[in-house]
Amino acid sequence: MKLNVNTEIALTYLATRKKQTMVAAMGVMFGISMFIFMQSLMKGTNDYFEKMSFNSTPHIRLYSENQVADNHMLVNFLKDPSTKVLTNPKQLIQTQGIINPYGIIREIKANPQVTNVTPQVAADVIYTSGSVQINGNVAGVNIDQEDKMFDVQGNMVSGDLHDLNRVNNGLLIGKGVADKLSLHVGDNITVTSGTGSPTIMRVVGIFATTIKQVDDTKSYANIVQAQNLLGKDRSYVTDIKINIRDYNNAPEVARDLETLTGYKAEDWVKANEQLKAAFKIRAVILNSVIGVILLVAGFGIYNILNMTIYEKIKEIAILKAQGFSGPAVTSIFLQQAIYIGLMGGIVGVICGFGITYMVSRIYIGAGTLKYLPMSFYIPHYIEAICFGILTTIAAGFFPARKASKVDPVTIIRG
Amino acid sequence: MADIALKSVKINKFFHDPVTMPVLKDISLEVSKGEFVSIVGKSGCGKSTLLYVLSTMDTDYEGSLEIDGTVVTGKSLNELARIRNTSIGFVFQFHYLLPDFSCLKNVMIPALRLGKLSAKEIEAKAYEKLKMFGVEDQALKKANKLSGGQQQRVAIARALINDPAIIMGDEPTGNLDSKNTGIVFDLFQKLTKELGQTIITVTHDEDFAKRSDRIIEMADGEIKSHGH
Repeated sequence: MKLNVNTEIALTYLATRKKQTMVAAMGVMFGISMFIFMQSLMKGTNDYFEKMSFNSTPHIRLYSENQVADNHMLVNFLKDPSTKVLTNPKQLIQTQGIINPYGIIREIKANPQVTNVTPQVAADVIYTSGSVQINGNVAGVNIDQEDKMFDVQGNMVSGDLHDLNRVNNGLLIGKGVADKLSLHVGDNITVTSGTGSPTIMRVVGIFATTIKQVDDTKSYANIVQAQNLLGKDRSYVTDIKINIRDYNNAPEVARDLETLTGYKAEDWVKANEQLKAAFKIRAVILNSVIGVILLVAGFGIYNILNMTIYEKIKEIAILKAQGFSGPAVTSIFLQQAIYIGLMGGIVGVICGFGITYMVSRIYIGAGTLKYLPMSFYIPHYIEAICFGILTTIAAGFFPARKASKVDPVTIIRG
Repeated sequence: MADIALKSVKINKFFHDPVTMPVLKDISLEVSKGEFVSIVGKSGCGKSTLLYVLSTMDTDYEGSLEIDGTVVTGKSLNELARIRNTSIGFVFQFHYLLPDFSCLKNVMIPALRLGKLSAKEIEAKAYEKLKMFGVEDQALKKANKLSGGQQQRVAIARALINDPAIIMGDEPTGNLDSKNTGIVFDLFQKLTKELGQTIITVTHDEDFAKRSDRIIEMADGEIKSHGH
């Protein structure tokens, strides 16, 4: 293989200073493997929490929002917009829920982005067993659809969720509710809503989501049961839950659905703002750590090249006397930096993968989280190599430029 | 007169630190092709300074310099590097070989830089040059493993690798014993007589100077005698 003479000199310098080369390359290696590890951990954790939030939150939730009373009815009646009404404005309860929910569901399904749509009747209730009462809420759902969207089955502790379709007055209760009321599958429980009459229901299953607040209050019932609980008719639906193909498009799709239906459509980003905030904070923390590591690695390279140049200043002068131009000298030293970067980069990627893999086998065992969530995401590895090489080039550039400016006369004449 | 290898016209140079003072005053000289010229003079008379100006490494001067018929004054540093690579071979008082490389590589590097020949041809040529100086058996040793005399001979072989028109020496024998000095001198003479190369050396060694074709005497930054 025919090597360029600059390359040959660069490689010889690296080879004759194995220790320094290794140290510099190790700096880059640490930087890059940490970069990969951190990114994998961050993405893994974020993905996990996102998935977790989708276990209880749909991508988009459509509901009818209470509105402040205004004078539009009066204006319609009087046909005189200049009429002013002095009132103490109050929220109007939208007692009828979503009007024509099944028609709206059909329309929503027509949207190509939408993958799953399910209606829900939400009811605030009081659970009573014996003399103990606790507050909670019943979600009246189509349990098969619900399971498809939120993996209810995965959270089941005991019982069978399909009994909800089979058992009249069946109820799936959260583990917290079950514990507080000391209920088991097959027991009866009295459920009272604000508007309906008390109903005795049968516990057919118990679930645990790891979110205490949910487990302590929530229960699932058949949608018809929930409508009965509230004393409403079969067309009464409070929410429509929608999942879409790519949850990152939720805000746009939510806007479309809002204009389509006239109801409030809340996307998961709005519903989980604290989650997004946590993502951002984690990103800032991890990126600054990675930045510092790469910076330190960069300084390592800068230092070592600077020392090399200081030691080799006579040789640089000789090379220049023999006709090596400034750019040729720059190339010699920049190439050294790049080779250090490449070496460190390649080993770093391998180490990064190894560390990520090892950490992903660490048992955590908190709730449904068994192992640390790590992601193996190829772009992280590519990014890591690019960052590593950029850092080394930046670190090598200044010493290399200094070397190219060596004045042979002053050095040789001493 | 024969072809001119190097010509300087009214070269003036000043040192600015600590105070501005002239070191070269109106130096005009011509060196013909195939000539072996020694520049002599007392320490501090400016002979080395002159040599570095003539070598194109020092560009901080007034006047004009021609090498091989081309005016080099005012050319960019990269062009000058190219000129040094092709037409000037340099031998220093201390050998200045690159210690991390073998002798052979040391000799080959300027030719590799020039890139006119293939690596194979360059290697053959480098062996040939080392042979001229009787150090071909040291070719594969690292440069810092040789004796001073051997190193200087390798350094001269290196200066010759691109068949430069002009070889410049700054006390090329200053570090050598009389036997090695003799060898180097004979080789220099052979280069000028047989290969038509031009040699300009700065030297303290009077014997060495006397045996060269022409002695240029300098004093206080001026040429006292052109030796014609």
